Amino acid sequence: MFEGKNAMAEKPQEAVRRRRDRRNGQSAGDMLQGTLDMLILRTLVMGPAHGHTIAGVIEHTSENTLEVEQGSLYPALHRLEDRGLLASEWGVSENNRKAKFYRLTPKGRRHLAAQTSRWRQMTRAIGLILGEHAK
Amino acid sequence: MNPRRYTHREKKDADLAEEIESHLAHEQDANTGRGLPSEEARRQARLKFGNPRSTREAVWRYRSLPWLDDAWRDFRFALRSLAKTPGFALIAIAVIAVGIGANTAVFSVINTVLLKPLTYPDPQSLVMLMNSGPRGTFPGANVPKFNIWRQQTSIFSVVAAYDRGGAGLNLTGGSEPEQIQGVHVSAGYFRLFGAPLAAGRTFTAAEDSPNGGRVVVLSYGLWKRRYGANPSVIGRTIQLDNQPYLVVGVIGRGFVTEAPADLWLPWQFDMASHDMAHYFVVSARLRPGVTIPSLMLIRATARKRELATRSALGAGRWQIVRQLLIESLTLSLTGGVLGLILGFTGVRLLLAIAPGGIPRIGEDGSAVTLDAHVLLFTLGVSVLTGILFGLVPALSASRPNLAATLNESSSRSGVGFRSGRIRSLLVISEMALALILVIGAALFIRTFMKLQGVDPGFDPHNVLTLAMSVSGDRFRKTASVEQVIRAGTERLASVPGVAGAAAGNGLPLQGAFGMSFDVVGRPKGNTPFTGIVGYYSVSWNYFDTFRIPLLRGRSFTDRDDGSAPGVVIINEAMAKQYWPKGDPLGDRLQKGVGAGPVFAEPPRQIIGIVGDTRDEGLNRDAAPTMYIPIAQMPDAETVLNARVVPLWWVIRSNGDPHALAAPVTAALREASGGLPVAHVRTMDEVEVGVTSRQRFNMLLLTVFGLSGLLMAAIGIYGLMAYSVQQRTQEMGIRMALGAQASNIRNMVIRQGMFLAVIGVALGIGGAFWLTRFIAGFLFGVKAWDPLAFIATPLLLCCVALFAVWIPARRATRVDPMTALRFE
Repeated sequence: MFEGKNAMAEKPQEAVRRRRDRRNGQSAGDMLQGTLDMLILRTLVMGPAHGHTIAGVIEHTSENTLEVEQGSLYPALHRLEDRGLLASEWGVSENNRKAKFYRLTPKGRRHLAAQTSRWRQMTRAIGLILGEHAK
Repeated sequence: MNPRRYTHREKKDADLAEEIESHLAHEQDANTGRGLPSEEARRQARLKFGNPRSTREAVWRYRSLPWLDDAWRDFRFALRSLAKTPGFALIAIAVIAVGIGANTAVFSVINTVLLKPLTYPDPQSLVMLMNSGPRGTFPGANVPKFNIWRQQTSIFSVVAAYDRGGAGLNLTGGSEPEQIQGVHVSAGYFRLFGAPLAAGRTFTAAEDSPNGGRVVVLSYGLWKRRYGANPSVIGRTIQLDNQPYLVVGVIGRGFVTEAPADLWLPWQFDMASHDMAHYFVVSARLRPGVTIPSLMLIRATARKRELATRSALGAGRWQIVRQLLIESLTLSLTGGVLGLILGFTGVRLLLAIAPGGIPRIGEDGSAVTLDAHVLLFTLGVSVLTGILFGLVPALSASRPNLAATLNESSSRSGVGFRSGRIRSLLVISEMALALILVIGAALFIRTFMKLQGVDPGFDPHNVLTLAMSVSGDRFRKTASVEQVIRAGTERLASVPGVAGAAAGNGLPLQGAFGMSFDVVGRPKGNTPFTGIVGYYSVSWNYFDTFRIPLLRGRSFTDRDDGSAPGVVIINEAMAKQYWPKGDPLGDRLQKGVGAGPVFAEPPRQIIGIVGDTRDEGLNRDAAPTMYIPIAQMPDAETVLNARVVPLWWVIRSNGDPHALAAPVTAALREASGGLPVAHVRTMDEVEVGVTSRQRFNMLLLTVFGLSGLLMAAIGIYGLMAYSVQQRTQEMGIRMALGAQASNIRNMVIRQGMFLAVIGVALGIGGAFWLTRFIAGFLFGVKAWDPLAFIATPLLLCCVALFAVWIPARRATRVDPMTALRFE
């Protein structure tokens, strides 16, 4: 279909071997993993969405400060799904295209609540340390 | 851990690929909506997404157990790379298989025959009680000592006395009279050794006292052979030396004794006896908590095995791995499985070639099993070896850049092998270990050869020996034994093919009794005046028949009987030890000093000196020994003697001694009034029987050493070849820069041999230190045997040179461009 198809046809495990040396270096995505997870869950509170939508929402709501390669969203989605925080199914998008829709599971909802409260406590604490007065 | 994470990876990856396609399509739609042309929209979408493959790899990696994946991949890689060099793979597997197989087989047998504690329960607490004297420590006991030991109840829980069979008893009352081995034991014997009972019971304390009645316990072998394993034999009476004995029990099958026994008789000691002769041995079981320093010896023996295993396996290490742990593991495990098979067949093979008379191997070698501990140990070591030698190069192979490689090689001549130190150390230690092992093997092989050429001190060829039991009421007097000997000798003289005949209470090589003596009239000063020496009583023509040379004086004659003055002949070793300067001829001996009334007799005149026979084994120096005419034994000694040993007949033949067996047996039975004979063997067979164990041990150790040599040689070759091969690229560069092939070859050889020589130097040092531990196994060879210490290093240097030369030559022949692209 596209020229990119060829690249994708290569088995990932071959590439993994070549890229092994990079494995130990933490990428920006890794460091933001916890944050990204929370943002994804937060996005899905509004209702099910597919990957492209989620990426767009995160990009806009964070006022582009958290702009990352959109590709790094997918490992997070799959991880969250494996943990049972998300569920997914293939459907048809607003553009009339096939797309995979993710939605929050009850477990995901609880997890988001817990994480959000923890996050608030932490940012408040950091704020105090940095000398900002609680409002 | 979430199991969903690792399942259906391929399917989930395809799913993700589709998802990414969908994402890109949506982004492209959005871009198109903003008015971008389709191509540009697509490009922007891809730009914003990043590399799809990285995403999929990230997810794939997240779904992997990296080590498992790697292991599987490396395994396939190992198979591929091994398939590329099948010869090498085969050699490597063969080395491991031979290593494990030979080690396991040899040690399984050595373990059973030599090292494994006897199969008695709780062997650590079992001790044999020894006498310590000026001539060293020897086992042996008399009744007073036994009495004292029995009273040490705070140290010993059980004390038992037993002899070592030997006399032989005439078992009659069946189809055929048979001479069998009866071992006299005190009542605690069976409990001491934990003998299992197949039927009936063992002796009671009452049966083991004087006049306790004639009772007997059968061995499993005799029970099965002669009585068809019939339990009703319990309570029946059998005829031993024409006396009725009541069978009270049968011992179970697994009971292995040091000296073979067909049946056991209660000793029935008179505990009041002051008999001082040591004619039996005593063992005891220590109470819990009691230890004895001599147990250290057992531990030292066990250490010996450990040392030998370690050096053998260490030297068997080869460095051939291609930086991949799995490859070496593949090899070592394949080799291990083959080695297991080899070990299994090897044990059978060793038993098949084992000569008769190997102690402890049980019926048809059933007691020898493939030793699980040894097997696991060797297998474990082979796996560990694989891991170690897979890991080391893997850790060190961080691919240094070419400049560094060249610098390293040129600046420091010698240790220039790439990824230098570790591999150099491997070469050095491999050489050193191999050298130690091979020096050990060389010492054993030299010992083995020396043993073949030992002069036993008599002519064992064309001599037939037979045992006749002269026990029972008929032989209360020495004269009656003498009468049988005279009649037998006369009768034998008329048998065609008989060149000479004699009798005695022992045979050369079988070990003699010890007997104390004083040199009459010698002051108790610095020169030795007393001692204990080997002791035989023999008929007058014993020396002639065995062709033991008379060195001085005269031999016995048939007139040296009970009515003539007492005479004694000593051997050369005794003359040298006790008359270092003086002349023994003319001196008199008082034998049996302090041995009790049984041995009381007047002093004897020394009339001659005969040559030495190696009675304590071919690998031992001849022991000082004295001989008296059998016709001059005190009566009481004759009776005691008959309980312990048979009368041995010695017949020299003109032709094949086996052909004489039937006529001689018939002649002796006729001349002795119907006594059966047993143990009909040629003296050659006796010699083999006595030395078989030793020869077998030597064979095992030699096989062991040779397999070690083989492994070491291949190992060094592999290691050297690998090291050189690793430098192919560097050589290509050197050649491209104008180096001559001969320069490179010489450099490689110089560097390789430098390591080899360091290893050899270290190995010689190590061997000097270690070979002292095997000194006890050696004979006629010093532990620092110059031949072994010069020839072996030379041999290994040749192997190393060969190992460096071949790959060096090959490396310099390749096209520089090919060499550069190598790997």
